[in-house]
Amino acid sequence: MRAVDIFIQQILNGLSIASVITLIAVGVTLIFGLTGIINFAHGEFLMIGGIVTWLAVSAGLSFPLAVVLAILAVGLMGYVLERGIFRFTLERPTNGFIVSLGLIVVLQHVVVLFWNPNQKSIPRPLTTVWDVGGVRIASVRVMVILITVAVVALSFRMITTSRYGRALRASVEDRDTAALMGIPVRRYITGVFVLGSALAGLGGALLIALFPITPFIGGTMVMKGFAVALIGGLGNIYGAVAAGLILGIVEGFSAGYGFSQWTDAYSFVLMILVLLFRPHGLFGGTSGPRMAS
Amino acid sequence: MKTVLKMGASAAFCLGALAHPACAEDNIVKIGVVAAESGSFVSAGHTLPAGVGLAVKQINDAGGIKVGGKTYKLEMVKRDDRTDIATAIAATQELVRDVKVQAIFGSETHDFTLAMAKITQPAKVIHFAGNSTLAKILTPDSVKPGGEDHYLFQSEPQEFQRSGSTARGVLTLLEPLLGYKPKKSVMIVGNDATGQFLSSYYFKALKAEGQDVPDIIFYPPDTTDFSPFLTRAKSLNPDIIHFWYNGDSTLTALPQALELGAAKSYFLFGVDPGIWKEKALTADVPVAMSCVPVCWGESSNPKAKAYFDAYFAAGAPHGVTSSVSLLYHDYVHFLAEAWEKAGSFDPDKTVEALLSIHHQGVVSDDLTFNPTHQVTHATEVCAAAPGGDISCSMQQPPAEAPKS
Repeated sequence: MRAVDIFIQQILNGLSIASVITLIAVGVTLIFGLTGIINFAHGEFLMIGGIVTWLAVSAGLSFPLAVVLAILAVGLMGYVLERGIFRFTLERPTNGFIVSLGLIVVLQHVVVLFWNPNQKSIPRPLTTVWDVGGVRIASVRVMVILITVAVVALSFRMITTSRYGRALRASVEDRDTAALMGIPVRRYITGVFVLGSALAGLGGALLIALFPITPFIGGTMVMKGFAVALIGGLGNIYGAVAAGLILGIVEGFSAGYGFSQWTDAYSFVLMILVLLFRPHGLFGGTSGPRMAS
Repeated sequence: MKTVLKMGASAAFCLGALAHPACAEDNIVKIGVVAAESGSFVSAGHTLPAGVGLAVKQINDAGGIKVGGKTYKLEMVKRDDRTDIATAIAATQELVRDVKVQAIFGSETHDFTLAMAKITQPAKVIHFAGNSTLAKILTPDSVKPGGEDHYLFQSEPQEFQRSGSTARGVLTLLEPLLGYKPKKSVMIVGNDATGQFLSSYYFKALKAEGQDVPDIIFYPPDTTDFSPFLTRAKSLNPDIIHFWYNGDSTLTALPQALELGAAKSYFLFGVDPGIWKEKALTADVPVAMSCVPVCWGESSNPKAKAYFDAYFAAGAPHGVTSSVSLLYHDYVHFLAEAWEKAGSFDPDKTVEALLSIHHQGVVSDDLTFNPTHQVTHATEVCAAAPGGDISCSMQQPPAEAPKS
């Protein structure tokens, strides 16, 4: 295999890595950046999305239907948890953070209790592999990249141009004033949390289409999601996409050409440098909403 | 009068052996297990109580053990270390000081075992752990009477033995399936303490078998997307890619390797052919697998089927590493035999007996501990042909470590 083919293959690998990380990062950036809720259990939301997909496919449903179920189930779970737990922590984000750490353990072990700790996988929804001049392109990876692009574009449009998005951004700037202007801030927070959760559900469904998952997969994913969200700028979907791409390519190339065992470390070194020199991220973002009583 | 004498003798026996709570609790001997029944190591961790529990049941169903003229039943007391070393230490302290177990099995993790041994050894509690990495501390000095690890036993072969038998088995089984003698190997290894330790031995074992090994590619332990690592391996044009050592990671990596066409054949360490069949895995190239130490899905070991039938019937799930249970199951029987031979639960006499017995286990008809408290036995290696046929063979370990 020629060096140039290996190089192109590594770029494609990087794009694929970037897809799922970007999906989770968009969820993190929306929830953390726009509502101030630091939900470290977001990775477990992704894991639940994968488990729902696995259950649905195992029950004989088609993959597209399983994806829809995963989005709905995790979105519903997000609604219940936001209304039942996180809304009581809005004025004390540290409490929300601690609650989310507890949720990690609870969600992992609920899954272990009912469906054991072993790996879960589904048959690949697409099995074709194209060989283009020695470069192998798996159709399932192309599917994941395309779905991510479409969903992220839709979310971006919604946040930047819709009436809902404008109201949401206004409430990030100043909750009290937004509320006085008639914006139902609390309801919008719930809406963002549900949207972010649903994106994690989608991420989980796409993840299990690519790789087997375990109940413990959330931790790694959420760390990268937070890294990408912070590098891109909190609340900035464009930033999350760009940072996801940067991180995917960096990871792909470091594993392919550098010290492969440090692959994860590069992401976090990059995050630390960005936070030191550009505290609002590479592409600018919120510092989280201003907390007001 | 006879009864009074018997009662007096019994009381004297127990008073003289206050350190041995078996007497105090209705002829029950307690055996502790510390393992990850939750957390990220649960896949291997749950096999420990399953294997020990099965052996305890088998021994009790057969009437218990006879020690010093009395019959005792065994009781397993298990603690979940939650894949957390502090929890493992606390659990060991509780089992040793409060529950007063006679022996401890676990953990499946090297670092945890070392920390546990700091508690079990001063307390003179017999301790079995299936970590080949214990070779680092089990030395002639440390295991001699009075030594700091005198009561610690390694129930997995030394790593040069396991790596040696595995490398030989993989190359032997893959050669006819490839149709030529493989010459170039690349290793892809999880980058943690165990991965680094194991790969250093396996690298030497492959070199000793004449393999050219141009690269060992380490990946972060939680990796799910292996494509960049596999692309790097593919650029080296290997005959075999050897995946070490986490079975779950290996099962994640293999389909990606097949998609990329990364090598002409593969070896999956610690993946049982049973999982290969259950997951209906297929490959268009030969794939070798190895079990620690005997496979449950397909085995050339005549005792394996009966063992795993009983193991799964007891409720243990079919797992990638179910066979790890044998690194503990056999040694409960071994220990029971040692207690019977010693005629006592005295830990020093038990160690003497353990070192003198040739035990008939599932893994081997001749399990023995060497002078540094390490066991030796064969490792099972299997290979799946592209058509799906699986063949297995027990590979005996090399007599000596390869010269580096």
